[in-house]
Amino acid sequence: MKASERFRNLLSGKPVDRLPVIEWAPWWKLTVERWLSEGLPKNAAATVGSLQEYFGLDRCLQLSVKNRTKNTPKEPARGAGIITDEHDYEKILPTLFPDVGTVVTEERIELLHRQHEDGKTLHFLTVEGAFWYPRVLFGIENHLYSFYDYPDLYRRICNEYADWLIELFRYLLPRFQFDFMSFAEDMSYNNGPMISKQLFDEFLAPFYKKVIPVIHEYGVPVFIDSDGDITLALDWYASVGADGMFPLERRAGVDVSVYLDKQPQMAFLGHFDKMCMKHGEAAMRAEFERLLPSMHRGKFIPSCDHQTPPDVSIENYFTYVKLLREYAELVTHKDTEIAPCPVFSENRREKI
Amino acid sequence: MSILNEISEKLQRGRAKEVSVLVEQALAENYSPADILNQGLIAGMNEVGEKFRRNEVFVPEVLVAARAMNAGLKILRPALISSGVKPLGKAIICTVKGDMHDIGKNLVKMMIEGQGIECIDLGVDVGPEQVVCAVRETGAKLVCLSALLTTTMTGQKEIIDALVAAGLRDRVKVMVGGAPITQQFADEIGADCYAPDAASAAIAARAFFEE
Repeated sequence: MKASERFRNLLSGKPVDRLPVIEWAPWWKLTVERWLSEGLPKNAAATVGSLQEYFGLDRCLQLSVKNRTKNTPKEPARGAGIITDEHDYEKILPTLFPDVGTVVTEERIELLHRQHEDGKTLHFLTVEGAFWYPRVLFGIENHLYSFYDYPDLYRRICNEYADWLIELFRYLLPRFQFDFMSFAEDMSYNNGPMISKQLFDEFLAPFYKKVIPVIHEYGVPVFIDSDGDITLALDWYASVGADGMFPLERRAGVDVSVYLDKQPQMAFLGHFDKMCMKHGEAAMRAEFERLLPSMHRGKFIPSCDHQTPPDVSIENYFTYVKLLREYAELVTHKDTEIAPCPVFSENRREKI
Repeated sequence: MSILNEISEKLQRGRAKEVSVLVEQALAENYSPADILNQGLIAGMNEVGEKFRRNEVFVPEVLVAARAMNAGLKILRPALISSGVKPLGKAIICTVKGDMHDIGKNLVKMMIEGQGIECIDLGVDVGPEQVVCAVRETGAKLVCLSALLTTTMTGQKEIIDALVAAGLRDRVKVMVGGAPITQQFADEIGADCYAPDAASAAIAARAFFEE
């Protein structure tokens, strides 16, 4: 079974030969540096793809697209913003929203096709979400004030960004079939979402209700990427049509079995507790055993629940990948009782 | 509704300007500065803290409430000083070495200040020496240490060890928190308290100073 078919089948409730064996995130620089000191060949560390191949993972490559240009001001310090108010936004507007054909060139699209030809590679597209993108503009702390201080500007930012994304999707998605896409959000922390449902409904939901149907037209499942405890936010993103979420950080108290109960139409990726990896095979096997019942329920792909920490030796990482494959091969859905993700549901197709 | 209740209500809704006006009005009506502080501003922040713990309000609401509290305090401070009302205590707060994350630390700071505690913010990426110096210079009795990363959480232990080495450990309580921190980790490194969230940190801080 080819990687794309396996992934699509899994999300649409059709039979699969095994689960994908993927890492969705690149590795931390510190982790790779440690592994280089432990014998990782330099050429293997050259790219995310070469690292994936070296460790025997299925290839899963990300294309990240932003709406800013080289002329857009840079944040003066980490976490600081580049605008304060509407006047500032007007000033940087000419530097935003580049022509979509220059953001992802024809050459890049050809490269995606070539990479995809081996049948072993998953491709996903990532853009910033309606929480993340305004945070880049306002800066971390002022972003949180902006819901109250500049509500009209917040709505305008999201609306104009949504229009540009739709233009991007209408250009890019007919040219290359991504296996899935993700919105970078990081809108939760270890105690839950940073904003209320009321703010989500008022500021974020209109953005998602505008862009997700366009992405779905091209048959691409939409995942939301948010660290932290997303248990409350899961329902909010489900309400705007998201197909899945990751990385489901265990340390934040997330339990994927609860998520599968709450939103059985959604798919989930991640959730393998990265903190156990340093303790060796027994600890990692115990963690996979915890996850196995949820894996059997369908539409849950175990993967490191964020990036592998630098306290994990290369030997332990090899063990992790070996176990990931072993457990992925235990899951072979034969029936079609599993609810498909919204993008693949009959209801949606009928609407179109 | 009494003016003190009104201060508390407006504070909870983040109405900074209205809180300032009401505090001015309360002073003009000869309410005692201590009552305005305790029954108006602190009462309002306590309510926000409780709602935050119950997931009834979230980070933006805490931030705008804390901003309203500061607006009220700015008006009230001269009267507090002239009437001899002192802070409940003095705390130091920072994010540890190698860690640049400050939103969690800032939230804790605001909530602690909302309890009437003076909070000295050393910022982010703060090493053991800076904390030791600050404890010596300020006489703070509480040290609050934040870390967001698994790679930096060990910085909390380094600061506790430095306080021990400097002979200051018995003079201060140490509270730790942050996304990767657990009660078990806090126990292992010898912290006095683990706070799972900003509101709990404020309650624990108040308890330290009321002991």
